[in-house]
Parts: sequence; C-alpha cells; structure tokens
Amino acid sequence: MADAKKGETVVTVGTRKGLFVFHSKDRRRWKKRGPYFEGVEIRHAILDPMEGKALYAGVTSEHWGPMVSRSTNLGDRWDLGKEGPRFTKESGLTVTRIWQLQQGVDGSLYAGTEPAGLFRSEDHGVTWSSVDALNYREGRDKWPPGGGGLCLHTILPYPKDVKRMLVGISAAGIFTTNNGGSSWRMYDAGIREYGKQKFFDKEDTSTCVHKMVRDPTDPAILYQQNHAGVFRRSRGDPEWSVAEKGLPVAKSTGGPFGFSMVAHPHDRGTAYVVPLVGDYNRVTPKGAMAVFRTTNGGKRWERLSKGLPQKDAWFNVLRDGMRADDGDPAGLYVGTTTGQLYASRNDGNSWELIADHLPQVQSVEAGTVGGR
Amino acid sequence: MVEGETRVRLELPTGLRQFAGGKGSYEVRAATLADAIARLNEEFPGFAYRVLDDQVKMRRYVLVFVNEDPVAHLRPEDVRLKGGDTVHILPSVAGG
Repeated sequence: MADAKKGETVVTVGTRKGLFVFHSKDRRRWKKRGPYFEGVEIRHAILDPMEGKALYAGVTSEHWGPMVSRSTNLGDRWDLGKEGPRFTKESGLTVTRIWQLQQGVDGSLYAGTEPAGLFRSEDHGVTWSSVDALNYREGRDKWPPGGGGLCLHTILPYPKDVKRMLVGISAAGIFTTNNGGSSWRMYDAGIREYGKQKFFDKEDTSTCVHKMVRDPTDPAILYQQNHAGVFRRSRGDPEWSVAEKGLPVAKSTGGPFGFSMVAHPHDRGTAYVVPLVGDYNRVTPKGAMAVFRTTNGGKRWERLSKGLPQKDAWFNVLRDGMRADDGDPAGLYVGTTTGQLYASRNDGNSWELIADHLPQVQSVEAGTVGGR
Repeated sequence: MVEGETRVRLELPTGLRQFAGGKGSYEVRAATLADAIARLNEEFPGFAYRVLDDQVKMRRYVLVFVNEDPVAHLRPEDVRLKGGDTVHILPSVAGG
C-alpha cells in the first residue's frame, strides 16, 4: 500500500473539500496524503478493518451523484465506480449522499445514505442492493429529517452474529434486525422527551439518535449520544437508561448535547463523547474543548482536556468526527469543523494537534494497514 | 439505425468528462435525450448514473440545453432531438 507499511496506523479524514489520509508508524510522526477528490465533499471514508488493504470513500458530488470509490494503494489511484446505491424508481426517492460506510461481519460493505437508506455491496462497492425491508418500511413517509437531512448515519453489525444489526437514522430513530435485515423493529424506548425529564415508553418513537456505539468487550451493550442526552442499553433491558453523570447539560434539551461518540477498542465500559453547548449553539462550551470519557459504562464521565485548546475554541465536532484506533493504549482522533485534527495515543489522557487548516472535517476513521 | 434517430452532438463540461473517456464532445445517433444519454452510457458504462437520478430524471443540479432551449425539467425520454441539434450538459452554478 504505497509507502505505508503493514502495522501502520491510518487515519482517514473526510472533509467538505476532499479526503485527507494520515499514516504513521509510531503515532507520533504523521505523513499526510491528499487531498483526494478535490473540491468534493467526503462524508465518510474507511480503511477496511478486516484486511486493512483498501480505502473506501463515500463521495458526494452534488452534480454527478453520490458514489463509493475504492483505492488499494492508500489513495494513489481510485476506482471511481460505475454506479452508487439507488432507490427504486417506484419509491420516488433518490440517493443524494453517502453518510456512512461500514464493513459487515461477513466482509460485505454497507452504505448508509441520505435520504435514509441502507445498501449492501458484495463486490467492494461496485454494485449495490437495497435492504428493502428497512428502506421501504411501512411508515417511512413519516420519518422526520434531522438538521442535516434524513440520513442513515450509523451502522452497527453485531460481531458474533451476521444476522444482527442496528442502524441509526436522524431523526427517525434506531432500527434493529436479528434476521439479516428481513424485518426491522424500532429500539427507542427510554429516550428523553425533548427538554423534559420525561422519557418515551414506546420503542416505535422517532428520536434523534446522533451516534451509537457498542461496548468493546460486550457488543450487546450500547451507548448512544442522542439529541436529548446520553444513554446506555444492554440487550434484555426494557429501555435505554440515562448515562450522563459528569457531563455538561444543555439548557434546551434537558440532557448533554453533542454529536460524536466512540468506544474504546479494548476496555470494557469505556467510551468518549464531545459535549457541545446545545442545539441552539453547536460549539464547545465556553470556547474550551474537552473530550469526556467514561470507564464504567456511563455511570460517571470525566473531562479530558490536556493538550486541547482551552480558549477561543468555538467549533463543532460532527457525529463522525471522533474515532479510536485499535492500539494499546488506544489512539483517539478528533476532527473539528474549523479544520483541526487532534490525536491522543494514551486513551485520551493527553492530546496534540496533528493537522490544522483542513477544510471542515466531516468524519474521522482510524485503521491499521494489514488489518487487526 | 432505429427509426427517428438522427445525428446530434453532445457537449460535456469538464467535471463530467472523467466519466466519458475524457473528451468534451461526442456525436451520437438518438431520437431523444434519453437515447443520447443511453448511447454514451453504452460506450462509457456509468455515464448515465452521473446525470440521471434514481427516478431517471436529470439530477437536481444538472442543466441541459438543446441548442438554446433548457430541457432539464423535462423527462429525458420526452425531449425529442432532430438532426444537427447540440445537447449541452452543464453543472448548475450556485453557492458561496
């Protein structure tokens, strides 16, 4: 893979104006490649986690349609593809953006789109098939869009069972399948009603999930950054439960507001969020950037800010703006809407700036050349 | 030759040429705009995807003129072409 060697850490940074790729042997000194797809928005890009050989980029050309492109040499050459995911003509829908790429347990590639749709490719993104039971689910005409549009932005395969998967759609809510996508049910009970300390008691309630992750040691445990707070749920729980102690609370929503969330790659009960002031002011509180970490499954969060700007840092970290690599200790990467890329190589205890003046960061992903 | 087909010219903008062999101008035989796009798609698979949405209408930010007449709002199969027509495909320009 070009000049990157097996075992190197790769960080893909999707921006409003192209894709940047950083790679490093030691996570101290970074080499930058790109920008690729000059002038075009890249909502999300990944290094395939299984083999660590191919980059996939969700390329959103406003003019020439959304595509998933693939590179097997770290961006030197891209296969532009022939066609992206498509809805049926009868649906009245047209895919406009690729919001999320995720490799399935069986090696297939999934794409989450706007308008909200889930598509699957078994040939590295060359052709796509629609997950019809979700995409044309009864009631989708009532799915409300979030501020960024009606988008399917989170895809969580279940590591031990190819038939299980959860997806997050803003602002329709969370949908889950346990039969390979043949049928889906909603999974939203327990989420806070906007601005209140009341909680929805029905699963089939549209809530605005912003990001959702699985616990690294028990994938049946989920954590969620929602528009209206931070929540945790284990399989078998009757509903989501609040997991917010130690996080700043937004005046408007009734709970902590933010977009991004990431799980630690190894440590049980450990996850990270970047709180913002609120939905009325989507910037870091008091102009001081901090990542918050829980190490006990959301019972308590601690503020991490060493090396992060504590003055005049007025930016957002979008829903895919933070990721972890699989190192030990873990590397974490945060991209901002003002074009900074911060990295930690010690579980978030301290941070340093590894890139500045990038275009607005839409997404960050981390992987390892040659796979895990 | 299919009945009704006639020789027309397609003019492509810079951003679209990468999906059509790199050239900016092609002559094809076509009776309608849909035919013209289909002819180019036969030569360059995937070209049609770049200009047509999932409803097989022109993409939202793609403009099409037949000579000087705007036709992007019409269904491509309803846009009749005649010999010597020039079809201009352009990206709409907007934003800041």
